[in-house]
Amino acid sequence: MSKIIIGRYIPGNSIVYKMDPRGKIIGAFFFIFLIFLANNWFTYLMITLFTFAAVFATRLKIKTFWEGVRPLIWLILFTSVLQLFFTTGGKIYWHWGIFTISHYGIENSIYIFIRFVMIILMSTVLTLTTTPLEISEGMEWILTPLKYLKVPIGQIALVMSIALRFVPTLMDETVKIMNAQRARGADFNDGGLIKRAKAIIPILIPLFINSLTIAIDLAVAMESRGYREGEKRSRYRVLTWSKYDWINLAFFTLLTALLLVLRKH
Amino acid sequence: MGHAFLESVIPMSETKLRLNLQDLVILALLIAINIVLQKIQFGPAYLKVGLGFIGLTMLGYYFGPVWGSIGAGVSDILMSTAFGVEGGFFPGFTLSAMLGALIYGIFFYKQPIKIWRIIVSTLLVTALVNVLLNTYWLHLLYGLNLKAAFLSRILKELIVPWIQMIVIYIVLKALQRVKIKK
Repeated sequence: MSKIIIGRYIPGNSIVYKMDPRGKIIGAFFFIFLIFLANNWFTYLMITLFTFAAVFATRLKIKTFWEGVRPLIWLILFTSVLQLFFTTGGKIYWHWGIFTISHYGIENSIYIFIRFVMIILMSTVLTLTTTPLEISEGMEWILTPLKYLKVPIGQIALVMSIALRFVPTLMDETVKIMNAQRARGADFNDGGLIKRAKAIIPILIPLFINSLTIAIDLAVAMESRGYREGEKRSRYRVLTWSKYDWINLAFFTLLTALLLVLRKH
Repeated sequence: MGHAFLESVIPMSETKLRLNLQDLVILALLIAINIVLQKIQFGPAYLKVGLGFIGLTMLGYYFGPVWGSIGAGVSDILMSTAFGVEGGFFPGFTLSAMLGALIYGIFFYKQPIKIWRIIVSTLLVTALVNVLLNTYWLHLLYGLNLKAAFLSRILKELIVPWIQMIVIYIVLKALQRVKIKK
């Protein structure tokens, strides 16, 4: 538990930090769509180059990005290898039972490896350079159109910011509860499956009860400070679009144009 | 039955959809718990089971299908964008989380805790969400061959649901004793 990092934001000062979170979030979504467009060597090369451009533009250590990929590296390799054996077509190089290594297989597994790594790197760029609060404000802005489908966006935004505020608090609370239970002999890493499942209860229930207490107190405090459901409120924190966001926009426009031209039609 | 049942599961009008402030704050804290739980894994190294499903169960149990799945959607968005889960953000997985909470909500919200409910809901979530939908997202996202994607996931999905059922049963039985003050 001690190794848990709350949020992944690393303070910095490069241009990626100065971009509007809305632009960055939309960019990160859009990048996934762009990856769908890639279907030959040139396009994958472009995707790779642009991702690395974004990674270098953050001016963070490469090691930090590697730490985002590392927990998944075995899964990525395993998946790529499975793809290698189960995709058939083109020239066949090796064949044994159900396993085949073909030209398409090799190509496909390399593409999948690139896709995995690039998607992870791009979303790491977003999470490392944007604070959780900025992300939730950006998400709120992006979700606003759902208002027309009668989705209670105001309430959802409030839920988001309260949840965000209390994750660190509850994280500390969890560590405290675990230590308190350990002090009385609880063991969270030993025993059979059912014993371990039962060991969750002494953590979960106090955590839940503490949260209920916090929630009731907070609701009372909010109401006493004049929060009224459904009434129009002003905004203290406002997101602003700056010149750096045009760089962001230009970056993605260029990448889209290149992919559309270079992809196999 | 019929309409009345549907109305109790999915509130139709907007006024019924609104939560009062206290419930709203409880929902927010449940989401925070969900995010914290996601960071804890238990079990031996060769079979790590994440605790995320407990969060989904709790959301469904306390807030029903609609707000439960909204809560699950918010947790997934916050988790993958702000707190960084492995693999990054993809809206498909947000939908998966929402569908999971929706299923748990239909089976557990304002219902007595019965073993068959736990078994059926867990199997439904495993089959629909974890096996079908999530594999499809992986196929879409990374261009995986569907057969290979299934093969790499099926083994885990054959073992994990049974563990989840035991944990859900124990958790729901314990939660039953905690009453939310009104």
